[in-house]
Amino acid sequence: MSALSQIPSRASSPGPQASPVTGSDGRAGHGAGPGGGAARARRFPRSDFWSGAGLPGLVFVVAAFVVPMAVVVVKSLTDPSPANYSAIFTSSVYQRSVVDTLQMALVVTVLCLLVGYPYAYAMARSGTAMRTFLMVALMLAFWTSLLVRTYAWQIVLNDTGIVNTALRDWLGLTSAPIHMIRTPFAVYVGMVHVLLPYAVLALFAQLRSIDPDVERAAQVMGARPWRVFARVTLPLSLPGAVAGGVLVFVLALGFYITPQLLGGARQVYVGQAIMQQIEQFLKPGVGAAMAVLLFVAVLAVLGLAARFVGLGKILGVGMGRRR
Amino acid sequence: MRAGIGVRLFACLIALLFVAPTLIVAATSVTSGTMVTFPPKGFSLRWFQEVLTDPEWLTALGNSVQVGLLAATLAMAAGTSLAFAAARSRFLPPALVTGLAVLPMTVPLVVAGIGFYLVYIRVGLSGNVLSLGIAHAVLGLPFVFVNVLAALTGVDRRVEEAARVSGATEAVTLLRITLPLVAPAALVGGVLAFVSSWDEVVVALFLNTPQFRTLPVVMWSQVRSGVEPSISAVATLITLVSLLMAALVLVGPAVVKKVRRRT
Repeated sequence: MSALSQIPSRASSPGPQASPVTGSDGRAGHGAGPGGGAARARRFPRSDFWSGAGLPGLVFVVAAFVVPMAVVVVKSLTDPSPANYSAIFTSSVYQRSVVDTLQMALVVTVLCLLVGYPYAYAMARSGTAMRTFLMVALMLAFWTSLLVRTYAWQIVLNDTGIVNTALRDWLGLTSAPIHMIRTPFAVYVGMVHVLLPYAVLALFAQLRSIDPDVERAAQVMGARPWRVFARVTLPLSLPGAVAGGVLVFVLALGFYITPQLLGGARQVYVGQAIMQQIEQFLKPGVGAAMAVLLFVAVLAVLGLAARFVGLGKILGVGMGRRR
Repeated sequence: MRAGIGVRLFACLIALLFVAPTLIVAATSVTSGTMVTFPPKGFSLRWFQEVLTDPEWLTALGNSVQVGLLAATLAMAAGTSLAFAAARSRFLPPALVTGLAVLPMTVPLVVAGIGFYLVYIRVGLSGNVLSLGIAHAVLGLPFVFVNVLAALTGVDRRVEEAARVSGATEAVTLLRITLPLVAPAALVGGVLAFVSSWDEVVVALFLNTPQFRTLPVVMWSQVRSGVEPSISAVATLITLVSLLMAALVLVGPAVVKKVRRRT
């Protein structure tokens, strides 16, 4: 939990710190300063007041979020029985789905880091014009809806889409369309496009935080540029890679829209499998069990990663945008 | 070390790939033909006109706006309230409050969707603005929470102490001093919550009924049967609103600060 408390530390809001009267913990009632006696007397009701102010929010989040999540767990155990879980672990269909999902998420993560690193590097180590251009392009993509971007790739990769039209009519390279839509290839293209900004933003933040003097020092000592990168910059940027990679991986695990629209029938990823159980097979119990396992997996990965880079760093990437 | 020319060229190529899909969709929406083609045939706004006069799209647009506004409002109220508890409460452990407030950010949308779906059918609250608005408020709440919490740590407690010493009750201090100080941060969070509701599909799919569908849900159902210029027009409209909101949040505060400094 200590990692979570780092979140406010990313505050960009300038302003004076808590006054000495109230103490550094930001809470009043230490009895010092003007009205100390009164402060002591109202210590109890005052603290109570802020808990009261937080009560509506707590009630809301418990009723509207914690309860639904608990209902999913209950459903997974009681509709019809906990056998839902053993069905998932024994059925080869589900096992295949889990393996495919893990593989897909891993490939997407690696691709995002490989493509995202040079992008973030160019952003962090260029002039203002270049940085602005790259940032604007990134933000345009980032804030375009996931559904719209997936639809766009559908237009591009269709059998009658832009790529195939270009290959056949403009370049004359092919006579028959290349099937790209409804293949894992299309899924990878779409998912990397959607998730790449998270990787770039995490890497960019990390690269920007590296003191330029450290690199300069290495250069002064006689290290070639490539060596400086490999021995100084790369190691120092690893926390950003971990944060971005973990976030991309975790987001990819639960994807539904993009694989459903761009993928084929052969790969059914976990997000799709959950939808299928509910919509087609009318087995909400099994769907709920898969959902529980998915959420647990996501939390486990986040928890594990939090030991290395801090949860605030991971979840803070691209704050304000979720998939 | 400055980025080498190769790295920069690669970055520029990726930058083009970043924006290309959005631009292609926009281009296919202004075609005067009846098919999605690139480059588009001629220029016309007929597909926008068609979409904006079609009752199905219009109803969905109305639903999306209402759901987004409700989600943003609820998220602002609940997120601000939780931020107060996390920063100031003596009895509630900050880690617990923060955990609860940030948890919705980590949940896969499919998982959240099932939860809302199961609860809402049980309580008979489904297929309306209220149910989806509440669900989206939960998903948008962390954005408000994090922003307000950050703003709260920057609030000078002496200002509040001054109000208290001058005789204001705690409630009055909260309403007249603290809330106005964190209101801009809450508003930024609220806009983010609106956008995340505006283009959210998965949870909306779980909670849709034939009578109640949002813009992305109608778009989703049409996209699955193929590409059409009218879908491109809707996609462009959705994107324009999202980008406008993003610009508001990303550039807005800086502009306000600049104007304030000048006066």
